Amino acid sequence: MKKSKYINLVLITATLASCDKPKNDWDENNKVHLRSDTTAPYTRVHHNSGVGTALLWYYAFRPYGNYRNGEYRRAGYYSGGIPAASNIGSNRFKGAVTRGGFGRSGFSVSS
Amino acid sequence: MKRITTTPRNHWQAEVEKLGFGFHTTNVPYWDESVYYELSLAEVLAIEKATATLWELCLGAVQHVIDHKLYQQFRIPEWIVPLIEKSWTEDHPSIYGRFDLCYKNGEIKMLEFNADTPTSLYEAGIVQWFWLQEKDAQKDQFNSVHERLIQYWKYLKNYLNPGILHFTCLKETLEDLTNTEYIRDCAIQAGIETKLVFIDDLGWDHQQKQFVDLEGQAVTNIFKLYPWEWLLAEDFGKHIPEDSNRTLWIEPAWKMILSNKALLPILWQLYPDSPYLLPAYFEEGRLENYARKPILSREGANIDLVMKQLTIQQTEGEYGADGYIYQELFTLPNFADHYPVIGSWVIGQEPAGMGIREADTLVTDNKSRFVPHMIVS
Repeated sequence: MKKSKYINLVLITATLASCDKPKNDWDENNKVHLRSDTTAPYTRVHHNSGVGTALLWYYAFRPYGNYRNGEYRRAGYYSGGIPAASNIGSNRFKGAVTRGGFGRSGFSVSS
Repeated sequence: MKRITTTPRNHWQAEVEKLGFGFHTTNVPYWDESVYYELSLAEVLAIEKATATLWELCLGAVQHVIDHKLYQQFRIPEWIVPLIEKSWTEDHPSIYGRFDLCYKNGEIKMLEFNADTPTSLYEAGIVQWFWLQEKDAQKDQFNSVHERLIQYWKYLKNYLNPGILHFTCLKETLEDLTNTEYIRDCAIQAGIETKLVFIDDLGWDHQQKQFVDLEGQAVTNIFKLYPWEWLLAEDFGKHIPEDSNRTLWIEPAWKMILSNKALLPILWQLYPDSPYLLPAYFEEGRLENYARKPILSREGANIDLVMKQLTIQQTEGEYGADGYIYQELFTLPNFADHYPVIGSWVIGQEPAGMGIREADTLVTDNKSRFVPHMIVS
């Protein structure tokens, strides 16, 4: 039934271990205001309770940019965890692509 | 098939967390190693045979639905039909699926097929395997999930579009992320260049008419742990057919037919002699004892179990607007008031292993527990 007794995981244990942290720093009573672009205003963000393990992923600020003439240009940072107004500001690179058109139908696909 | 109670490993939580399994306990226990199931090799071989057979029947059903344009019965919108047919004609690859089977009194019956976004793959492929190594390493398990995933990614590597393979799922759900990252792990081991982008972060470039990730990199191949019916209902869904990169979506669009419970009456209509199928109909009133299921639903929501016009169990939820099907009632076996359902995996067109989820009621819902198994001679 089993082809081999040896299983190697190259990615998942490290990745997910980094998600599995206590959420002490994210107490629900804390007021958190974030922005991802210096040209954008701060807004207060909220998170659902009981999902502390994934919060670091949710609010992560990821590098954002584009390729032009084969050259990558960093436009700044983006986080899907904060309102659009605090993500884009007047940054024209960020404004060229629409985001957020997927991901609104549910909280998990668990089957 | 026997249910065995046992003592969990000391520090089992730490042991499974070392594997990256962070959702072993939520409001209620999910991973439960105070119990396991013993199956004989003959029983496992029977499950394997049923799985292979059912997969073949399902492929036949897809062809039938396409040939006879039965999309309305599946509530599939017309505008996506060309993509479904193209993905089928061009043989866009499917990585996996999970049949939910009832094994009782020597009979195996298909309850449904989680064909598009099955979860519990990591528990089945990794967590229960490492449990067995500590419990009784001499014993075997119906489990070649990991090997088959790597093997199939290696095979598919040459069929992908140019560019990297993106993986996507929802944010803020560790279960979805774990399943997605596990499959990505296997793709990396198969030598494929990959990248994770959350579905919420996907961008649409109106000028280039292409999906892009957060770095503006074009998406040309994407594994999604996100249901097709959700994709289609959302703002970006309409962009999928106009995508200039003709992105290869995995699971492919033709899986919309198999992940819909309208499949069940179609299968019964086509293969009434199959020992693995239960009678199922679109119309009410043809069965005395039945399960009424929404054609699109998740985690056992909105299911009614009816015996002789009496509802013996009913679950709540938000599904059902698209209609229901009626499947003959074949209740799960009762092991001391615990009811196991077998999730039997197809990976790369082949049976690949199983996981057992145990519930305290006849409907397996989101409070069910994953329990490991082993094969005994």
